[in-house]
Amino acid sequence: MEEYREEELVLPADPMVLNMGPSHPAMHGTVRCVLRLDGEQVVDCDVQIGYLHRGFEKECEAGTWTQVFPYTDRLNYASPLLNNIGYALAVEKLLGITVPPRCQYLRVILGEVARICDHCVCNAAMAMELGAFTVFLYLVKAREWLFELLEEVTGARVTHSFCRIGGLRHDLPEGFDERLRAALQKTLAAVEDSEKLLLRNRVFMDRTMDVGAISPERALAYGWTGPCLRSTGVAYDVRKIHPYLVYDQFDFDIPVGSRGDNYDRFVVRLEEIRQSARIIDQALRRLPDGPIAVPDDLGVILPDKLQTYTTIERTIQHFKIVTEGIQVPAGEVYSYTEAANGELGFYIVSTGGGRPHKCRVRPPCFANLQALPELVRGRLLPDIIPTFGSINMIGGECDR
Amino acid sequence: MPYVVRRPDRNLWEQSYVPETVRGLGVTLRHFFRNVFGRRDTVTLLYPEQRRPYPPRFRGLHRLTQRDDGAPRCTACLCCQTACPAECIHIVAGEYPPEHPLAHVEKYPVEFWIDELRCVSCGLCVEACPCDAIRMDTGLHPRPVEARPHLIYERNLLLSISDTAGNVHTANPRKK
Amino acid sequence: MNAFFVWMTVAKIVAFVLFILTGGALMVWVERRLSAMMQDRVGPHRANLGRFRLWGLIHILADGLKMMVKEDFIPRRADRLLHALAPILAFFPVVVTFAVVPFGPTLDFAHLGAVNHEGPLFSGPWATTLQVATIDVGLLFVLAIAGTGVVGAVLAGAASDNRFSLLGSLRAASQMISYEVTLGASLVGCILVFGTLRIEQMVLWQHQHVWGILVQPLAFLLFLVAGIAESKRVPFDLPEGESEIVAGYFLEYSGMKFAMFFLGELMEIVVLAILLTVFFLGGWDVPFLFADGLHVDLPFLDTWVWNWPHGVVVLVQLLGFTVKVGAMVFLQMALRWTLPRFRYDQLMDLGWKVLLPLSLGNIAVTAVVLAALR
Repeated sequence: MEEYREEELVLPADPMVLNMGPSHPAMHGTVRCVLRLDGEQVVDCDVQIGYLHRGFEKECEAGTWTQVFPYTDRLNYASPLLNNIGYALAVEKLLGITVPPRCQYLRVILGEVARICDHCVCNAAMAMELGAFTVFLYLVKAREWLFELLEEVTGARVTHSFCRIGGLRHDLPEGFDERLRAALQKTLAAVEDSEKLLLRNRVFMDRTMDVGAISPERALAYGWTGPCLRSTGVAYDVRKIHPYLVYDQFDFDIPVGSRGDNYDRFVVRLEEIRQSARIIDQALRRLPDGPIAVPDDLGVILPDKLQTYTTIERTIQHFKIVTEGIQVPAGEVYSYTEAANGELGFYIVSTGGGRPHKCRVRPPCFANLQALPELVRGRLLPDIIPTFGSINMIGGECDR
Repeated sequence: MPYVVRRPDRNLWEQSYVPETVRGLGVTLRHFFRNVFGRRDTVTLLYPEQRRPYPPRFRGLHRLTQRDDGAPRCTACLCCQTACPAECIHIVAGEYPPEHPLAHVEKYPVEFWIDELRCVSCGLCVEACPCDAIRMDTGLHPRPVEARPHLIYERNLLLSISDTAGNVHTANPRKK
Repeated sequence: MNAFFVWMTVAKIVAFVLFILTGGALMVWVERRLSAMMQDRVGPHRANLGRFRLWGLIHILADGLKMMVKEDFIPRRADRLLHALAPILAFFPVVVTFAVVPFGPTLDFAHLGAVNHEGPLFSGPWATTLQVATIDVGLLFVLAIAGTGVVGAVLAGAASDNRFSLLGSLRAASQMISYEVTLGASLVGCILVFGTLRIEQMVLWQHQHVWGILVQPLAFLLFLVAGIAESKRVPFDLPEGESEIVAGYFLEYSGMKFAMFFLGELMEIVVLAILLTVFFLGGWDVPFLFADGLHVDLPFLDTWVWNWPHGVVVLVQLLGFTVKVGAMVFLQMALRWTLPRFRYDQLMDLGWKVLLPLSLGNIAVTAVVLAALR
């Protein structure tokens, strides 16, 4: 009988390298996770982003301030209106103008509708990847009702390009508030259905509870914001802490989690749908009359169409705004709003004139995503899926 | 006020799988029986037999509006071309012949190309037009084509498209 | 061994294989339409033959045609022999399980119109059991055949030269082997109660006494769960785990080879439904219907008897069997579209730490109760 030394008897067990993505059913938004697996256990996870990089920030420098709007639609494509609003507020801050109350209310209403859409999609996708396909369709169905309404207001389902610096493109159409209330009611019913299917189901709880948990300190260290941060128990919501638009006039609460795990993120999003519905309800009731844009003698908004057609003064003003762009004074400003994923910041620099000198975006999910390796290291391969899903990485926003 | 979201207890009701599974079955089966036997809640549209009417603001294909005599309302001012973030509009301006009543008053588009493949349907061109010459209220999608050049629409084609009500004329009071 | 017996066996094999194949194909339709109705959709209904759409049933034909003409893709570094063998090995056991299942009682061609006073199982020159093979250890045969199903899945993943497939086949191997234990153990209680391993005798016992689900409710639940795990469907679809390991062990399959996995999985739904029916829902037994007709026990009065011809009785019993199988299929489908998916370690915990102790406990309790009753 041959003699074996002990170390020869150990089978080689190097970690297996597995490329998850960029083309993978769960890696929506096109991202690649290079995993090193020991069996099913994740030894290491290297998240590689950039597959959806379009050069947003550089593109912005090539056009006028107004021409940035179509680009912002494509940042977080699950809730484009919130990006629209965020960018418009940034430029308005630099210009030092405030939009009229009706416009502010409309921005709040439409922004909250977009937030509900985003949360629906995020939770739907997460549920689907956990195998609960029915929940996915219930929530996406709800989003579709809201998208139809947004299309009615803005003229496009996703690429709204609806905000303008100093105002909005259109007012609400006739009878919109009843339709919105009806759609919200149906949406909340769909949310309730999906809650019944998942929240107390042990399979779902086992898959999400204490999976991908993070402490508030680590979350803050990573720069987390939005529902993900609130799931750890930190009640940071830009709408409450640094109110913009007319958010300080509404009565709404901030749902926070306690553990910062996938379950908390899922439930926080569902609760935020309810809170958003509350805000919309109040805003619709208090919606003031008045103009939806700043007066056109500020040289920010295009003058009234009929006057442009008929008077030479307005025609000249129109031409100046279209050809030269809105004249924004030199300076720099950082403006931040609560987008669906967290704090969406626009840092814009103007050297005077009609074009942005620099338009830097602080995408919320970029900061959130960088915690993914820490969240999944040492856990099992299937845990990546709900964790990645609840972080809600949106390629358009993260890669820009 | 911040409030902490509920985390269900994990007692026998949840831990034994069965009651919650039955409750979930209740939800799916309620939908099932209502869709099979009751009034249908299906949200699917059976395109192309059923179509959802587009809202009036829907931004579809472009069209060029006409004056009363059928000439393009466009004065080739290049505002839309300037405002377009996708750079999909191309205009060649021309002078009217000297005997024309509008000579030395306005120009007209000799050529007017819109590359509908590059268009991002943002509607900035419509907003930028100072004389209501370009519109996106056609309620149409770009139709599928076999070659890219087929979606580069030229002036006369754009002029021939009407809005959803069949109207081709401009709303600009200065029609003449 | 006369000519009638041989011909009847051949006829039964042909009939059953056709029944399973069409049943499996029908499952594609049922699955799609059922899930659509649960999710407020319409489901596929477009395929047509001229003006006939038949609620989307023709999609089955369209799918079959598509599968046949699709490219049969084999990865460059795959093991070609095993790659081709795996779908057959996965498909085969599903079909073979049907051989020992009694679809109905004995059918006597000579006395179709007469009233049968002999009881459901009898023998005669023109009598035949509605079962391909009546073997002594029918139940063991079912379990043994079900056990070979894992081979196809493991080979498929191992031969595909794809890391996702490999993970899938590893999961399939551990999952199916773990749940086979429960699958078998949960039936031991039934064996104790019914006192036989012959499946037709088990059905007969239920016909004469009560349905298995009433004496073995826990075993029914355990068998259902373990059976769904064996058929690798949500919530136990980890080996294919769409969003995790893409499609698992059949990721690298296309065309007819994929169709064999796909159909095999859908036919397993039918197999599980049939086994549940046979072991727990009385098989072909229809309440109040006996071999000679309806017997209804009226309170305070005598038993009311309405004699039916033998042929009609068997027909109704076959129908009852089909309805029960349909209900079990429906239950599985509804579960599939209601629940999310387990994780690998939770699946193992459930199998070894919950289901197995429960099934062993069930055996012990059953044995004690039976001994006490004797």
